[in-house]
Amino acid sequence: MNRRALLGIVGAFLLLTAVLRVWVAVNDRAYRAPVYSTQVQPVPREQGIADQQKAAEAKAKAKKYEAPTYRQFPFVGSRVAIWVVAELHLMFAAFVLAVPMFAFIIEVIGYATGDKRYDRLAFEFTKLLSTSFSFTASFGGFLTFMLIALYPAFTNYLMEVFSPTFLPYVLLFFAEAGCLYSYYYGWGKFHPLVHLALGLAINVVGTLIMFIANAWASFMMTPQGISDSGALVDLYAAFDNFTWMPINIHRFIGNIAFGGSVAAAYAAWKFLHAETDEQRAHYDWMGYVGNFVAISAFLPLPFAGYYLAAEIYAYNQALGIMMMGGAFSWLFIIQAVLIGNLFLAANYYLWLGMGRVEGVQAYQKYVKYLLAAIAVCFAVWATPHSLIATTAEIRAMGGTLHPMLGYLGVMSAKNTAVNVLILTTYVSFLFYRRTGKRPTVSWAKLGNLVQFLIFAASTAIVIFYGIYGYFVEAAVRIAFSVPQVLSVLVAMVLMTVIDIFLMRGAHATGETHWGKIPAVSQYVLIFIAVTFTWLMGLMGYVRSGLRQHWHVYGVLVDSSPDAFTPTLGFAANVVSVCVILFFALIAFVFWLASLHDKRDWGTTQSDEPAHGGHAPKRVSAGS
Amino acid sequence: MRSPVGVNVVLVVAGATLFYTYVGQLVPQKELQPPPKVEITQEMTPVQLAKVGDELARGKGMCLTCHTVGHSGGPLRYPDLAGVAERAKTRVAGLDQLHYFAQSVCQPDAFVVAGFAPGMPAIHRPPIGLSDEELHAVVAWLQSQGGQATITLKEKLPYCGGPG
Amino acid sequence: MKLAIVLAVVAVMVVLRLVRAGLLVWLAAWWVGTYAVLRYGFVTPIPASALHIFMAITALSLFAYATSSRERMRATYEPVLAFASESRFTLPLALVAASIPGVVAWSVYQGLQQPLQPPYFGRTVHPSPPAEITSRGEKVDLARAANPFRNLEKTDVQAFRRHVENGRRVYYRNCFFCHGDDLGGAGMYAHGLDPVPANFLDSGVLPMFQESFFFWRIAKGGPGMPDEGAPGDSAMPEWERMLSNEEMWDVILFLYDDAGYRPRALEAVGAEVAH
Repeated sequence: MNRRALLGIVGAFLLLTAVLRVWVAVNDRAYRAPVYSTQVQPVPREQGIADQQKAAEAKAKAKKYEAPTYRQFPFVGSRVAIWVVAELHLMFAAFVLAVPMFAFIIEVIGYATGDKRYDRLAFEFTKLLSTSFSFTASFGGFLTFMLIALYPAFTNYLMEVFSPTFLPYVLLFFAEAGCLYSYYYGWGKFHPLVHLALGLAINVVGTLIMFIANAWASFMMTPQGISDSGALVDLYAAFDNFTWMPINIHRFIGNIAFGGSVAAAYAAWKFLHAETDEQRAHYDWMGYVGNFVAISAFLPLPFAGYYLAAEIYAYNQALGIMMMGGAFSWLFIIQAVLIGNLFLAANYYLWLGMGRVEGVQAYQKYVKYLLAAIAVCFAVWATPHSLIATTAEIRAMGGTLHPMLGYLGVMSAKNTAVNVLILTTYVSFLFYRRTGKRPTVSWAKLGNLVQFLIFAASTAIVIFYGIYGYFVEAAVRIAFSVPQVLSVLVAMVLMTVIDIFLMRGAHATGETHWGKIPAVSQYVLIFIAVTFTWLMGLMGYVRSGLRQHWHVYGVLVDSSPDAFTPTLGFAANVVSVCVILFFALIAFVFWLASLHDKRDWGTTQSDEPAHGGHAPKRVSAGS
Repeated sequence: MRSPVGVNVVLVVAGATLFYTYVGQLVPQKELQPPPKVEITQEMTPVQLAKVGDELARGKGMCLTCHTVGHSGGPLRYPDLAGVAERAKTRVAGLDQLHYFAQSVCQPDAFVVAGFAPGMPAIHRPPIGLSDEELHAVVAWLQSQGGQATITLKEKLPYCGGPG
Repeated sequence: MKLAIVLAVVAVMVVLRLVRAGLLVWLAAWWVGTYAVLRYGFVTPIPASALHIFMAITALSLFAYATSSRERMRATYEPVLAFASESRFTLPLALVAASIPGVVAWSVYQGLQQPLQPPYFGRTVHPSPPAEITSRGEKVDLARAANPFRNLEKTDVQAFRRHVENGRRVYYRNCFFCHGDDLGGAGMYAHGLDPVPANFLDSGVLPMFQESFFFWRIAKGGPGMPDEGAPGDSAMPEWERMLSNEEMWDVILFLYDDAGYRPRALEAVGAEVAH
């Protein structure tokens, strides 16, 4: 036995030596003098080699330094490399900025009501933060190094303009790290108010960090405060450029929606892996809250988007037209598919949520009407202005404009559709909230009627302006979106207020059982998170790609091989890669966060620590 | 019978991503190249200049992002350029065709056609930033819209005193 | 909209309501009904690309509805389950299973039956004319020229009618093969042409232009199109090689007279197309 092993080892060693020798022999490039040479060399061989070396050294010494403008990233090219890293940095940053916001708010609710459940939920959200924060910082460093390495001239120019903002940015990052880790590790260790102050500090510092970084990004799109040749004249103007504030607002709201959806996906993941009903109840509730946060933040997002688009138009019409009418117009059809899916999925989740409530569900019969409204609005929003058609179809239509569908392709129809979608989602939520309750106040009938009238009036206003928009000029039509939005907002506020009073002391007809929801609902939450992430990647692309062959629009031209604007299909591929990478990394974050609840190594089943499952038995939804 | 949850979740994530990738491939695919450098030489005839100007109007000059040439159906958002060579001769009292075109491209807000809002950028400044030669080409192209291009590089363009 | 199709779909739905059809039947009815209305219910058919978007949205919504509560989910899959498992359905089930390859084969066959079509290139149908043209050695200022015989309409009706009749003669000898005997653009050769011959009955053609525009189009034909009008595509000949200027003006008189339109007034030009 032993001898055989020895034989084996010796054999393997011999074999290895043989392979090595063959490899060396094959790859040996050293010069070997021909054996039979009789020629006398004019220069002795050693002399020749030395001369060659000297010449090479002299040449290397004399080499002039030239500042490179670009360097190439292997395989995928510099642009795609920067693109993916920046997108991942942005996604993690969005998550890290958003989660403390609602963690803080939930903690405040917990503190105000004294309900421990909220405190636990806030902590559960915060658990996701620490790893994500490290990822954000790492990707930020990655991005910076990539910029310096791949786009040195452009990076240098940005530093030229923004150097005074770098130091505050770095210092704020330190402050963010300090606040975040003391918030996380100090959970339950400080006086609640001190802890809440820490939570507030993370949010303030995080928002400031984002505002500074937004100035750089928005400057690239709408530069200001510089001379015609690009020299900095006014740092404040460069900072507060046309799109800075709109992007601040858009990203602030968008981050919350994104963070909420990813946190909900975490809850869904835990729900699906839960072993006890208690855990299921807890994570069902957490997913519900995360999704509630995401959808609430999502509803005003289109309006922030309009504001951003309006400022882009105000800065440069050509840029605006390129976005909405030029090469990027089809991107907004893809966006319509994503947003339509989001609305449909969000409503679907609420309808499934009615299943948590025992007994008769009076509102289930309205689901089909809500669904019809959503489907019609979705279809309107996804109808392109000029259709893709075959020659025969174009002949039949007499152009790429369909005589009837053409009406659906314009802004009036799209605005109307999105407003109705928002209203419908709100009504779905209202129905969900009321499921299992019967109002006991004396004016219940009247209240319902008033609510319905407000809803009907708001819908009527939205549709009226939508149709009226076809009969007026473009300048007037754009202004119509304001009354449409206002009527929806006012209707939502009024209906909420009425509903709060209407449902006061409502008689419960059935218990709400958290966790008693079909598993498909949890996959919907994950689907919503993927859709949000993809949407974020897509809209990030249009914001950045809009500059076309410019690093800084109109100032610094992109002369690299990547200066062209890729096709939408290519952009979609890159966005998908970013999304997959993000979810792979976030799965790692989830896994780390779940280590908390895991049994210590070596302990037995019996001394397993209690799960975060002090589940709410009955919670009035959304309160 | 029941597939493991982890596999399902991966399937949902991958499936949704694939679906959106697919949607991205359904729309028309167009790649935008940065505008090519056009050689404009002193010997070019007005007609040759107008040809270069046509390229510029479509590409680097971005004229046709907003303007149309021969608009059919629907309300106009920006002035249509079909037959503009004729109208330019008499549009503003005191400006001949060349002066009118030069003013229109370099000081677009000096005169705005009735019924339209101002909003055109001066095309000899960034971000469009056409050179003097390119401006000549664009003016030659405008002259050829319903007329005859006459300008050469020898003539000086009024109103367009340098890019600074 | 074609009302007959819409009414038929509604009628089927009413019947389904009366017989209290199950959820699964309803889902199928909605999908098929939507498809029928969108596919066949429009006078101008919807392009396949848009139809696909709409049907995908419909399918997604119906799926969401079917699975949005336990009761509905049960009502949807129980009939399917019963059909797939109960012995009394064995024969129909076998038939369904057997027909699947047939359906696939049929759809492949359909796909292959699509005629080859050239790609579509956008072209301006009515491009702007040049400032002036030379037809048969005569210079015509297109911005200002009026039909030289148009004023006869008021001064000498007899002569005007003679010109119109001459135009009619010219039209039916030369033009009607493509533009049709009713001026509707559907002549006997029209089906072979792309772009299709102009339809003079369309209110977007004759009244939108001055007569000089049509003089340009007749005299210079397809080859005389500017670049944006795709000069190589149109089959319209350069009629200045075959007709005299007077005959061309006459045929324009006839077109307006027969179709019952007035030419666009001279001074209106430039008011809309500005700058």
